[in-house]
Amino acid sequence: MATVLDLQGLTKHFGGVRAVDGIDLAVARGEIVGLIGPNGSGKSTIVNLICGLLPPTAGRIIFNGADISRLPPHARVTLGIARTFQNIRLFGQLTVWQNLWVAQNSGEQRNQNFLHRWFGGSNGAWEEINRTLEFFDLAHKRDELAANLAFGEQRRLEFARALAAKPVLLLLDEPAAGMNAEEVDQLDSRIRKLRQDGITVLLIEHHVELVMSVADRVAVLNFGQKIAEGTPAFVQADPAVREAYLGTAAVA
Amino acid sequence: MDVLDLIDAVQSVADGVLFGATYALLGIGFTLVFGVMHKINLSYAAASIGAAYASLLIVAGIKAPAILVFLASAAAGGVIGGLVYLVGFKFIPLANPLATLMSTVGLLLLIDEIIVHTTAGVPLNYPALFSDVIVSAGPFNLRGDLMFVFALSCACMVVLLLLLYRTRLGLATRAVSQQPTASQLCGISITRVNVVTFVITGVVGGIAGAMTGAAIGMLSPLLSLPLTVKGLIVTVIGGLGSIPGAIIAGLVVGGLENAFQFFRGVSERDLYIMLLLFAFLIFRPGGMFAMPVGRD
Amino acid sequence: MDFYLGLMQIIGVHTLLGLSAYCVLLTGQVSLAQAGFFAIGAYVAGMLTVLAQWPLVPALGASAVVAGVMACAVGFPALRVKGLMLVVATIAFGEAVRLFFFNFTYQVQAGNLKLGPHGAEGFRQIRYFPEHGWTTLDVMLFIWAVVALVMAGVWWLDRSRAGAVLRAVGEDELAAQSAGINITAVKVSAMTIGGVIAGIGGGIFAHYTTHIEHLQFGVVLATFAIAYPILGGLSNVFGTLLAVVFVQGFLIEGLRFMGDWRNLLFGGLIVLAMNVRPRGLLDAGAVLALKRLIVPRKDGDGA
Repeated sequence: MATVLDLQGLTKHFGGVRAVDGIDLAVARGEIVGLIGPNGSGKSTIVNLICGLLPPTAGRIIFNGADISRLPPHARVTLGIARTFQNIRLFGQLTVWQNLWVAQNSGEQRNQNFLHRWFGGSNGAWEEINRTLEFFDLAHKRDELAANLAFGEQRRLEFARALAAKPVLLLLDEPAAGMNAEEVDQLDSRIRKLRQDGITVLLIEHHVELVMSVADRVAVLNFGQKIAEGTPAFVQADPAVREAYLGTAAVA
Repeated sequence: MDVLDLIDAVQSVADGVLFGATYALLGIGFTLVFGVMHKINLSYAAASIGAAYASLLIVAGIKAPAILVFLASAAAGGVIGGLVYLVGFKFIPLANPLATLMSTVGLLLLIDEIIVHTTAGVPLNYPALFSDVIVSAGPFNLRGDLMFVFALSCACMVVLLLLLYRTRLGLATRAVSQQPTASQLCGISITRVNVVTFVITGVVGGIAGAMTGAAIGMLSPLLSLPLTVKGLIVTVIGGLGSIPGAIIAGLVVGGLENAFQFFRGVSERDLYIMLLLFAFLIFRPGGMFAMPVGRD
Repeated sequence: MDFYLGLMQIIGVHTLLGLSAYCVLLTGQVSLAQAGFFAIGAYVAGMLTVLAQWPLVPALGASAVVAGVMACAVGFPALRVKGLMLVVATIAFGEAVRLFFFNFTYQVQAGNLKLGPHGAEGFRQIRYFPEHGWTTLDVMLFIWAVVALVMAGVWWLDRSRAGAVLRAVGEDELAAQSAGINITAVKVSAMTIGGVIAGIGGGIFAHYTTHIEHLQFGVVLATFAIAYPILGGLSNVFGTLLAVVFVQGFLIEGLRFMGDWRNLLFGGLIVLAMNVRPRGLLDAGAVLALKRLIVPRKDGDGA
């Protein structure tokens, strides 16, 4: 199976703090890999490193065989990496439609010439974006300013915007935070649909049930290091994992 | 360049450093407001000059000693500072930096116009202390009035630093500058801290305005724009949010200004100050002592 | 009548100045450098028509290019400077330009006159319009033709994907990067476009005032430049136009009867406006409301 993402010895220090400490992780095409761990274990830092918002202190990030460790963030998006933010970062003063429009990075778009892609009106982009809006149940809010949406709608828009970039690899940073059971179910099925569409997913989550339900493999972090990796069942039974989450006494 | 020229150059720089204390005060005012509210108050230098003008009015009737005029300027500065907060900042949503920027621009224009109106645009004489005292140190002559300006400015800085680092009020101010929401949750009134910040920087500004007037010998509405630009440059070079930075940068800019003037003349002097700023922005955008970046 | 034509000329040129700041402000960069690009455009166009006998339109084109190149050069270091520090940096740039022209002398003998910029005295005798028989009406129409063209261009830019991208960068740079936008390219481009527009405005300004000098291009003009889009609201080019008409037409000329007090009022009105409507006269909410009033919601309408 082709490896989409390969983290080799990825390390990030902030002054004396080792936020990420020598992480090795490989994600194969079509997989859904979960990344879990207590707060402060380095999960979000890893996402920022993969996306290019932070430069690594050491180690490499290989994407589809190419070393992207030095590429600026927007170049990585063009190559096919997209992400959502844990604290939603929508373009509040743009409409729902415009939020998707600016992120759009489809193949047919790349075939248009420069002038058309940048200065053309909305016509060509229309169908594709409409489809995405339908899928996320946001079509009726198309012309609404993103800042005026309800929280749940904003979360869906955040997800939709990441997909508008037509990613090969999608990084979901705690997408289930603040969701009720029904919303988590919808999220679960949307993530599974991603796999059907051939998108590889790295899911950072606290919501244990979601991760166990949807992930093929799970990696567990603690204090910036990987302490366990395997199928959800395997990881759940691992004593090191339970110690990290619950403390030594619980394991004994 | 012979020895005499060298002596003149050093003399010039020394005078500049002494005058630079006023720049330092202005820089402190800009930087303190930025540190607490993360906004720039563009009307600050104009307000400082305004306070100095106000002090002239206050003691217009009585033949007051210079020191009283300076104190009046400080007091006027405090009042103006509070008013600036009320009118330019209090009611404008924090999330809208453009609006507060524009409101301070409006205040700058307003204050300038008030000054021009009440004085018909004519420069006014400003009292100075020790103006006929010259202290000789070898081949160098130190003007008494400049030394007084320097000394008073330094005293002001010391008091301010004591206030910030040794009082509860200062602690509250520093807390708000780092984490406004958490500070509120600890029972600190943001409005109160903001008002106090503006009043205190207003007092500092009043002293700066008075000292500028004392050093130059007169006040003119034409002073506010150049002082605004210089003050901002000092703030940026020193590092936005850093008081020690503003102090050092003020003295440095004062000294260099005179050095540039000595070597290249008045008309090119300010151009070099700009180049200095650009150099800092390119190589050290945080200034000399950048404010520590928050965790967000 | 000439008075009103003159007023229209001023409004036209200041609209260009405002539009130049508008383009840059969209990306979240508060630039007080626009007056500097304006000054560069003024001197370049003036020198080309007076000293090199160029016709007006090519001279304006050249001033647009020179100002644009300078703006591009400023755009790159501007990237390193965040938020309010950029305000200071651009103030300093504007001042540096002004000081440059304060010291700049280049004169050419023409008959018994010396033509060209002369340091602090400025650049007199930019007499292209009178020499070629343009009436005040001709000049005004020309200015507004240019303004209409530029406004149309910026309006079209605003509605295109590029416009949404500019605003996305202005909203949240981190999110924009993560959505695949090259923020360096966007911010520098916006600065360059702003420079080009300011250069054209400056070139026209030099010709209708016939005498330019460094004092006209100071911090006050720079603050006017950003005041227009901020007061007018950043969601729409017409907001900027409205603000220029309001400030130049109503405040400065209309309140002329108040004599010297109108300047007082000007500052006070800005403060009041920012307290009452911080997002400007025509903010996004107002525009949407207007849209819904004028244009019935059509299904299948793209943007």
